[in-house]
Amino acid sequence: MKIIGVYNIKGGVGKTATAVNLAHLAAREGHSTLIWDLDPQGAATFYFRVKPQIKGGGRRMIRGQRPVDDQIKGTDYENLDLLPADFSYRNMDLMLGDAKRPIKQLLRLLRPFSGEFDYIFLDCPPSISLVSENIFRASDVLLIPTIPTTLSRRTYQQLLDFIQGHSMREVSLLPFFSMVDNRKKMHLEAIAEMPRHHPELLTTQIPYASDVEKMGLNREPLHAFAPHCTAAIAYQTLWGEVKQRIG
Amino acid sequence: MSTPLHHYGLQKKSSADDVIAALAEQFNIRSEAETTLSRVYLDSFDWRLYQAGDQLYSKPFEHQLDLVWIGEGAGGEVHTHLDRIPQFFTDLPQGALRERLSRLLDIRALMPQVEVKGRVRLYKLLDDEEKTVLRLSIETLSSRNPEEDAFHDLPERIRLQSVRGYGTVLKQVESFLVRKLGLDRLGDGLLEEALGVLERRPADYSSKLDFHFDPNAPAGSVAREIHLNLLDTVERNLPGTCANVDSEFLHDLRVAVRRARSALTQIKGVFREEEMEPFKSGLGWIGQISGPSRDLDVYLLDYDSYRASLPERFRADLDPLRHFLEEHRQSAYREMVSHLNSADCKRLLEDWRRFLNRPHEYSEGADAADKPVGQVANKRIYRTYKRVLSEGAQINDESSATAFHELRKSCKKLRYLIEFFQSLYPDDKIQPLIKALKMLLDNLGAYQDTEVQANKLREFAHQMVAEGEVPADTLLAMGMLVDGLLRRQQQARDEFYSHFRVFAGKENKAECKALFSAAASSGSVDAK
Repeated sequence: MKIIGVYNIKGGVGKTATAVNLAHLAAREGHSTLIWDLDPQGAATFYFRVKPQIKGGGRRMIRGQRPVDDQIKGTDYENLDLLPADFSYRNMDLMLGDAKRPIKQLLRLLRPFSGEFDYIFLDCPPSISLVSENIFRASDVLLIPTIPTTLSRRTYQQLLDFIQGHSMREVSLLPFFSMVDNRKKMHLEAIAEMPRHHPELLTTQIPYASDVEKMGLNREPLHAFAPHCTAAIAYQTLWGEVKQRIG
Repeated sequence: MSTPLHHYGLQKKSSADDVIAALAEQFNIRSEAETTLSRVYLDSFDWRLYQAGDQLYSKPFEHQLDLVWIGEGAGGEVHTHLDRIPQFFTDLPQGALRERLSRLLDIRALMPQVEVKGRVRLYKLLDDEEKTVLRLSIETLSSRNPEEDAFHDLPERIRLQSVRGYGTVLKQVESFLVRKLGLDRLGDGLLEEALGVLERRPADYSSKLDFHFDPNAPAGSVAREIHLNLLDTVERNLPGTCANVDSEFLHDLRVAVRRARSALTQIKGVFREEEMEPFKSGLGWIGQISGPSRDLDVYLLDYDSYRASLPERFRADLDPLRHFLEEHRQSAYREMVSHLNSADCKRLLEDWRRFLNRPHEYSEGADAADKPVGQVANKRIYRTYKRVLSEGAQINDESSATAFHELRKSCKKLRYLIEFFQSLYPDDKIQPLIKALKMLLDNLGAYQDTEVQANKLREFAHQMVAEGEVPADTLLAMGMLVDGLLRRQQQARDEFYSHFRVFAGKENKAECKALFSAAASSGSVDAK
C-alpha cells in the first residue's frame, strides 16, 4: 500500500482535481484504490456524488471510536472507494489534538487497510497545521501541485523548511506544475527557473483547461467524460511519472 | 472493491420486464448497456480448486482470454490475461495464482468443466445525487458440457451487486423482490446452477473410497457394490488416460484395477470362482499393458528430484535421460491406448458391468455370498493381519529382497481390505491401525521402489547405448543416481524394524484382536 498525499499550503492549485483523476486512473488499471477527502469543503466527495457526511460524526471516527471501514463508500467506478468529507473536519486539528499521539493519528487509522488497498490518496486541505503534519507523517509521498508563480516557489520553500525542521525526511516530495498557462510570461519564467533549484520537480505539467473545471459540472473524473482532452492526457502522463518515482 | 452478490431466480409467472417495471415504480432505476457472458469454468478432474473453495474461469478478452480467479487467497477477483487456457500451473506467469495452483493442482491438469454463455442486461439504481447505489442485472444464460453441442437453459436470474457503504439500499431492494414480487433467493453460485441443468454437480469425482455398509448386509451384494464403484473409477479415468491429459488419470485407473483384483481374491466365496476367471485375467491384463506407461510417468515425475540429488555440476549431464524417458513414454502410451481402445477391452468392461449389475443371488460355489458382510470382513482382515505379523516377524538382516516384497504384497492386501470395510468399525479404533499400516507400507515401498528404480536405470542405460550415441557423462550421472538409490534402499531397510515394531506393537495387537477376532473364530466363511 502506498499513501499519496496531495497537498499544498495554498488553496486553488488543483489538489482535488489531481487526487480525483489520479485515483481514478489507478483504479482503472485494476489497483484497489481509496481516496480520503480530508477537506471540509468536500469537493472530491462532491465529484463522486457522495453525501459529505460521516455517520456518527467525524470526531468519533478520527479518535478511533468508530471504525473507518464503516464509512467507506463505493464510487461509480470499479476498484475505487471514497472516504467522504465531513463538515466537522474544519475542526480536525482539535480532534487530532485529543488523540494520544496526535501527530501519527491519521497513519494509525489507515494502517489496517494495508492489505485492502494498493493506493490511498489523501485530498488535503490547504494550510500548515496539525492536520498537515499528520498527512506528512502518514504519506509515503507528497504530490504538490504548484502554479508556476514566484509566490508558489516561496510557499514550496516554506513547506521544505517545515518538513526539514520537523525531521520528516521519510516522505518524498514530488512537486509538479499545475494550471499552467503558456500564454503567461510569468508562468514560462517560473517553469524555466524552478527546476534549477528543485531537481525533484516532476517533468509533467498539467495545463490550465476548462475540461478540468467541467469535472464539477459533470461530477465525474476527467477520464470518465473527456478521456482524450489535453488535460486528461497530461494527468495520464503525470500518473505514469508518479508511479515510476514511487517504484 | 468487490462486493457481495445476491441472486434471485425469476419465476415463470413474472418476466424480467415485469420485475424491472415494478422496481422502476419504487426506485430510480436506469438501464445500461446489454452485455454478453461467456465463461468456461476450469478445474482438475477431481475438482481440487472447488474443494478448496476456489473457482477459476476463462472468458474472452480482446484477442486473448481473461483468466478469472476467485478464492480466499485472491482477495476478490484476480485477472490474468493469456493467449490460451493453461493446462498445468507451470503454464501460468509467476504470481499469486500460479503459487496457489501449484499447491492445489500439483501435477493435475486444468480441464474445462462446464461452459456458460448468454445475455446480461445491466441496470443501476441511483440516489437523489444520481449516484449509483446498487447494480442489478438480468441474466439469461445456458450451459453445456465441454465438447458437446447442445446448450441447456438456466432459469432466468436477477443478480444484485451492492455498492460498498450502501447496504441499506440492497436490503430495501431484496425485501421488495422477495415480499412484493415473491422471488426466491438462490443459494448457490452460477457454477452449481450451470452444472445442475446438466444433471451434474461439482466435486462428483474422488479417487478415495468412501463406502458405508450395514454389517448385516449380504457379503455378495456388498462385493458387487465395491466392484461397481471401482469399475466406475476405471471407466471415468479412461478418456483422460487415452487423451493423455495428466498422469493422474492412469494412476487412478491402475489403483482401481489393483483394488478390484485384490477384492476378487481377498473377498472370498462371494462369487463363483470359475465365473470370475475371465475377469481376473482381464483386469490383470489391464494392469500389465498399462505398467510400462506408468513406470515412465513415475520416472518423469521424479526426474527433477533425481536431477537435484546430483551435485550441481553434474546435473546437466542427466538431461539426455529426460529426453529418452519422454520419447519412450510417448510410444508406451501409444501402445497402451491402442489396447485400452480395443474391442477386447471394451467387451471386458461391458461384461464385467453386466455381471455386477445382476441381482445378488445364492449360487453353489459362492457360499459366503449370503453371510453378513461384517462377519466376512472380520475374518478376512484378521487372517491377513496375522499373516502380515508372521511374515514381518521373520524379517532379519539376512532376509532377501523377495521376503520384503512378499510382506509388502500382504500389507497391500490388508490395506485394501481395510479401505473397503472401514465403515464397519469405529473410526477411533481403525484409524491408528491404518496409520501404522501406512507408515509400514511407505517404508516397504521406499525399500522396494528404490531397488526397482535402480535396476530400471541400469536397464535404461543399456537401452540408451543400444539405441545410439549417449554421452559417457550421462551414463556416469545415471550411475551416481543408482548409487544414491541403493543408499536410500539400505536406509529404508535399516528403518524397517522401527516401523514394524509400531505396527506389531502390543496396543495394536490387542485392538485388532478386539476388532476382528470374534467372527474369525466363530465364522464359517471359506477363508484361506
